[in-house]
Amino acid sequence: MNRGLDVEAVGCHGRLKPRLSLASTCHLSLISPSTASGYVFFLSLYLSSPSAYNITLKVIERSIMGESWFHREFLVPRRLAFNVIWYGIQLFLFAYGWWSQATNQKLAALNGLKFSVWCSRGAGLVLAFDGGMILVPMLRNIIRVVRPKLAWLFPADENIWFHRQVAYSMAFWAMVHTTAHYVNFINVERTQVRQEIALQIHYTQAGGITGHFMLLIMLLMYTTAHHKIRNQCFEAFWYTHHLAFFFMIGLYTHATGCFVRDSVDPDYIPTFPFYSTEHCLGYESWRFTIWPGLLYFGERMYREYRKYTAGQWLFIQVPDVSRFQWHPFTITSAPEDPYVSVHIRQVGDFTHALGERVGAGPAVVAAMTKAAMNGSEKEDNGIYGTRGDFVELDAGGGASLPTVRIDGPFGAPAEDVFNCEVAVLIGAGIGVTPFASILKHIWYRQQKGSLGCLRRVEFFWVCRDAPSFGWFQSLLQEVEAAQADPNFLRINVYLTQKISEDMLWNIAVNDAGAEYDPLTLLRSRTMFGRPDWKGIYKTMRQAIESGQYLPGSNAQLKTKVGVNIGHLDMFCTWNANHRFTDLFLWTWCLGQSHKGGYS
Amino acid sequence: MGNLVWHEYSRYVSLTASVYTVWASFWGLFYRKFFWDFIGGTLRNPGGLQPSPNAAIFITLIVKVPVIQIFTMMTAFFMIALEFPMPQLKQTMIHRSIVLRIVMLVLMAFMAILFYQGTNGALWSLIAAGCYARAQVLGETMEDAKNNKGKGGRA
Repeated sequence: MNRGLDVEAVGCHGRLKPRLSLASTCHLSLISPSTASGYVFFLSLYLSSPSAYNITLKVIERSIMGESWFHREFLVPRRLAFNVIWYGIQLFLFAYGWWSQATNQKLAALNGLKFSVWCSRGAGLVLAFDGGMILVPMLRNIIRVVRPKLAWLFPADENIWFHRQVAYSMAFWAMVHTTAHYVNFINVERTQVRQEIALQIHYTQAGGITGHFMLLIMLLMYTTAHHKIRNQCFEAFWYTHHLAFFFMIGLYTHATGCFVRDSVDPDYIPTFPFYSTEHCLGYESWRFTIWPGLLYFGERMYREYRKYTAGQWLFIQVPDVSRFQWHPFTITSAPEDPYVSVHIRQVGDFTHALGERVGAGPAVVAAMTKAAMNGSEKEDNGIYGTRGDFVELDAGGGASLPTVRIDGPFGAPAEDVFNCEVAVLIGAGIGVTPFASILKHIWYRQQKGSLGCLRRVEFFWVCRDAPSFGWFQSLLQEVEAAQADPNFLRINVYLTQKISEDMLWNIAVNDAGAEYDPLTLLRSRTMFGRPDWKGIYKTMRQAIESGQYLPGSNAQLKTKVGVNIGHLDMFCTWNANHRFTDLFLWTWCLGQSHKGGYS
Repeated sequence: MGNLVWHEYSRYVSLTASVYTVWASFWGLFYRKFFWDFIGGTLRNPGGLQPSPNAAIFITLIVKVPVIQIFTMMTAFFMIALEFPMPQLKQTMIHRSIVLRIVMLVLMAFMAILFYQGTNGALWSLIAAGCYARAQVLGETMEDAKNNKGKGGRA
């Protein structure tokens, strides 16, 4: 699949651009009308050639546990290592910059400015480092390739989180650097170590101009990147963030004014880089910081034109809704499916507008809710009824379905599931979407009898409200029904909302002796409240170690357990206390922190 | 598409500008300089720029005694208290007033532009004021104002 590929959805048949000669159909469904706010619509693009995109998994250590700030930052080994390395590098660079300025005999005149110049030079070096790093987590294509090898080195799986950490550092060091320079320049003016006034340095020389300009861009970028603004109006964030282009130009040219020099006047030369390195003694950090910029620019170009393989999420653009925005969604179909589907929860302005556009807007939901209240939809659904029936949306003869452009898929290998004996899949809220794909994939592999060494799947779904169960009910029912071995797949659904008395009675009356759970309509019973992870892992560990968990496996054998967590919230960390021996713990933080906003 | 609530966005700009201005005026207490002293000033070596006698009033208020810096800092602190908001201000009418914010921000910008460190803070305050003006033009109301509707004197 290719960015710029138009899947022109016309009714239930459409076409891709001829150069790819793939036929496609489009299928829109609306699920779970029970709450007007929490509904999800389901958009699937049927491609005649599903060109095996491999669903892949992210591997980081996290957990859903709430912990104190101190515990999270300092007692979790991984995070502690990150903090020590990341802030250690910055402090080292600051100290080195300070030292190299203070001890440089050539810069003796500047050193007359004392602390302020040492601070500004130290902070300047850190800023060069941060300016280089800020784009690194945005190199999506490269990260996809290097992630498995470098996951230990930097948090490649939480690229947006890392991007934010760099930005926070940058704001801090920009404050130090700017403050120091305000002192520098006023002292330059007073001592006349150079024959100029402070405002000339501020507003007529390259360093000052680009510096103030970068600060202004930072103000606009940081304020519009606030999660509240991103939710309200993704476009304000998206477009403003492209000021990064000018910011980067400012960064690369910040030192071209030859401010750090041992000559009286800047030593400009006619050839690139237009100042002599003999007398201009800055770090020349642009030689390093420019590479992530060039790579990023290259990636944007590459994504515009080239093709992808494997992945598990994709970008969607709907020109009718917004001409330029690309939004990431998790692919919920399996590689074997003859279509690509995504489930889209309407939370932000883009998703609401998209829902409205394809006919899954509030009016439709209201109508469906009304029908549900009247009970008119229950007629042929058998004794239990079904929550979350698909409702085909009739978009007025089909001609008005929007053009959907897709970019991707992106992501990392889910085939990893089949390398473990035990896969623990944990999803929360809409963060369950990747597991829809994985469970389906497992189901297909079961049919083919090619499960690899996979022996057990523990699926956890933590959800706040019952209507959400409708999202994947039919899928879960199907997967559950297909199990010959009752122990192969264990579905653990947790409902965390506070239950009203009515609902309590409803459950009590319907649950007793019923074959299926009244909430999920699965054989597995719904559990209430939050899962006790410590208890769950402990039990599992004991069962594995005593050899009861996997029949026939000796306690001495190594059992490889993969834990995958798909998570709705930005905050999730793996608690080291939960680590148990012989486990490969992978967790996966999906959601805003991973992809930079669903809106 | 997209429904930016301008006064909610302006709040972040205003907070950033105010925090910057507090920091700038703090440094302005120690490195006192009239920003506009280059107008008619003469450069002395060493000694720096000697402002023109016409600017004497500003030299008194900024360099001799940092009155402007102190007032700017107080205004900026007030803006932070208003925007954050401080619990005591949360339910009051001034917290819900967009116009008051515009006036305060413009005032803050006017004072900040007078001393050396205040220029960025002044520019950012004007941007915040502009965004609030946009909110005002669009007829936006603060969330609390909506909540307090119909509560009469108790709001």
